[in-house]
Amino acid sequence: MKKCQFEDHIDSYLLNKLEGEEKDIFEEHYFNCPKCFQKTHERDEIISAIKTRGVWIFKGETGPARRAFVPAFERVTTFFTPRQWATVATAAAILLVTVFGVLPQFRSSAPRFVLSEKDVVRGKTLSLISPVIDVKTAPAFFEWTELGGDVEYKIYVSNHGLLWTATTKDNKIAVPDEIRQLMTPGENYSWQVRAFSTKGTLIAVSSKVQFQLGPSE
Amino acid sequence: MIFVEKRTVEVDLEEVVVKYRPIVSFKVKKSLGTHTPDWEDVVNEIITQVIEKVKKNEFRGDSSIGTFIYTITTRRIVDFIRQKTKILKGIPEPVPLPDPCDDAESRERARVLAEAIKELKPKFKEVLNLYYYQELSREEVAQKLGISPRRVSERLNYAQKLLRKMVKQ
Repeated sequence: MKKCQFEDHIDSYLLNKLEGEEKDIFEEHYFNCPKCFQKTHERDEIISAIKTRGVWIFKGETGPARRAFVPAFERVTTFFTPRQWATVATAAAILLVTVFGVLPQFRSSAPRFVLSEKDVVRGKTLSLISPVIDVKTAPAFFEWTELGGDVEYKIYVSNHGLLWTATTKDNKIAVPDEIRQLMTPGENYSWQVRAFSTKGTLIAVSSKVQFQLGPSE
Repeated sequence: MIFVEKRTVEVDLEEVVVKYRPIVSFKVKKSLGTHTPDWEDVVNEIITQVIEKVKKNEFRGDSSIGTFIYTITTRRIVDFIRQKTKILKGIPEPVPLPDPCDDAESRERARVLAEAIKELKPKFKEVLNLYYYQELSREEVAQKLGISPRRVSERLNYAQKLLRKMVKQ
């Protein structure tokens, strides 16, 4: 069916965008064209409904930029009543405080090792077993707890400076005789063990333990 | 001596009244606004004038009956506005106009339509919003939605088609 040439003017006329002669011609036309009048009348009802109730109809629709976001946001916000939202918010707050505030208090954190003034690392616990107290003679071996897995231990024995260092995969190491002979009675010594992974990464450091070698008899 | 032949055209007055009353009413309401309490009186006066003029053979078929009635309608509206302007001269501005849909039937129809519009898919609602409510041009709507102006027209037409269906149900 052929479209009437005046049909395109219906919206302009109803939105008061037609003026003067153009408006008169269109009005005269719909007095003579029942189809155009019917369409004009129908559209006028729609436009009137939109104009008088637009605020209600388009409530929450601010524009195309937010078009995907708005319905989703509306669905979420209307999912609960305000009272339910308050309950949800309180529960969420309690959960957050529990997870980030309370639970860390009970969690055993990795021990903090001070290697030097600059180096502080966290790692597995590595406890020294022997010697940890003063000994009468130079110790025959040093022993510490085993970490398990493929780990390499490095022992450092110091006096005024580093006296001896050695590496082993065992959790104890025999002290060579020449080192034992260097240990002087009455002197203070300290020792420490560091554990490394096969890739050479430091994974544990023991505390530094001091012991005194008893005086010679 | 010059003879003037007075032409007469057969007009079915009953048909004219039935057919043109809604059109005259529409034009009067559009020009005066339904908030003008006298708009129905103006319509009745126009219809009466049409009947009288046709009976007096003043409609000679030089134009269509539609144009004839349109002319009477516009003249009467202009007269009414002039008359009202004279009466209202010196009287302070009236209070804000009431809802244009002030009769119960129109109000109910507008309510049903508004609910139907609210039920439409967002893509149809947003063109109705931008084009009819915010009164942007077709090109502006197209630019805002990132579609072609032709697409805007299609959506407007389809939305109206849907609304007609929804309201009839």
